[in-house]
Amino acid sequence: MSFLFGSRSNKTFKPKKNIPEGTHQYDLMKHAAATLGSGNLRLAVVLPEGEDLNEWVAVNTVDFFNQINMLYGTITEFCTETSCPVMSASPKYEYHWADGQTVKKPIKCSAPKYIDYLMTWVQDQLDDETLFPSKIGVPFPKNFLTIAKTILKRLFRVYAHIYHQHFKEVIQLNEEAHLNTSFKHFIFFVEEFHMIERKELAPLQELIMEKLTRKISLSGSFN
Amino acid sequence: KAKQKTLEQNEMKVKTYSPQAYKFYIEQHVENVLKYYNQRITRQSQLEKEMAKVGLSDEAQQQMRRMLHQKESNYIRLKRAKMEKHHFTNIKTLG
Ligand SMILES: [Zn+2]
Repeated sequence: MSFLFGSRSNKTFKPKKNIPEGTHQYDLMKHAAATLGSGNLRLAVVLPEGEDLNEWVAVNTVDFFNQINMLYGTITEFCTETSCPVMSASPKYEYHWADGQTVKKPIKCSAPKYIDYLMTWVQDQLDDETLFPSKIGVPFPKNFLTIAKTILKRLFRVYAHIYHQHFKEVIQLNEEAHLNTSFKHFIFFVEEFHMIERKELAPLQELIMEKLTRKISLSGSFN
Repeated sequence: KAKQKTLEQNEMKVKTYSPQAYKFYIEQHVENVLKYYNQRITRQSQLEKEMAKVGLSDEAQQQMRRMLHQKESNYIRLKRAKMEKHHFTNIKTLG
């Protein structure tokens, strides 16, 4: 899967050849390339000095939900009952929906249905003031990290489905650099705080390994 | 059967977004994440510099650090509350 990430971060974003240099659109493309390829998201995920871990995990979880929600929103027309009759990430991985609360027995359903259940479930968790308190001074529940881990584990499956079943459309929409950046940020975060078990990451293991290798080979060359 | 399908689609919580909106959102977001990271470090080191200048006691320094950390923590909580409101409350009132 080396085609997904270039050996240098800004390689994943190349302005299309048919956009003439010097035009406004070309400048915008170049700006996007610079933004997405530069900076260091790996350092930015680290718990800031003096910050509460739950607070940090909460704000990032909401962020990732918003990103994944929007990303999936761009490909809904391609992810249908017909194109994706099961929720899969390659032929090797198939998911059946159960939230462990209202749905205990896993339901085999199409990907759009599954993702709808999943996003609705996540949204309900984020909206729950007892789980994600939004008022200053209200503490997080004791099991907050466990809940956040479950949320991130499930959100990962949306990335996995999109990479495996809809990457062609992502390229067609010219948003692969954006997806890659968003996913990279997500992986840096879950690796930093050990939020998702390795076996859950298996569908995109190759993609992730590539980033970890880059982490080693590039360490020391930051800023 | 077709009718049932449209019904189901209407109930879908997942919204459609244009790729332009998504791309713009991610670009802004990454920029903000990196900006926030740098600014937060700057605030911390500024505090340290100021404290060194006026020669506060160790205890007073600890107190000042705790105050900054509390302020930073409150800020990300309010940011989260705002993000959720922005994304969800709107949809609810419309629907
Ligand atoms: Zn699909």
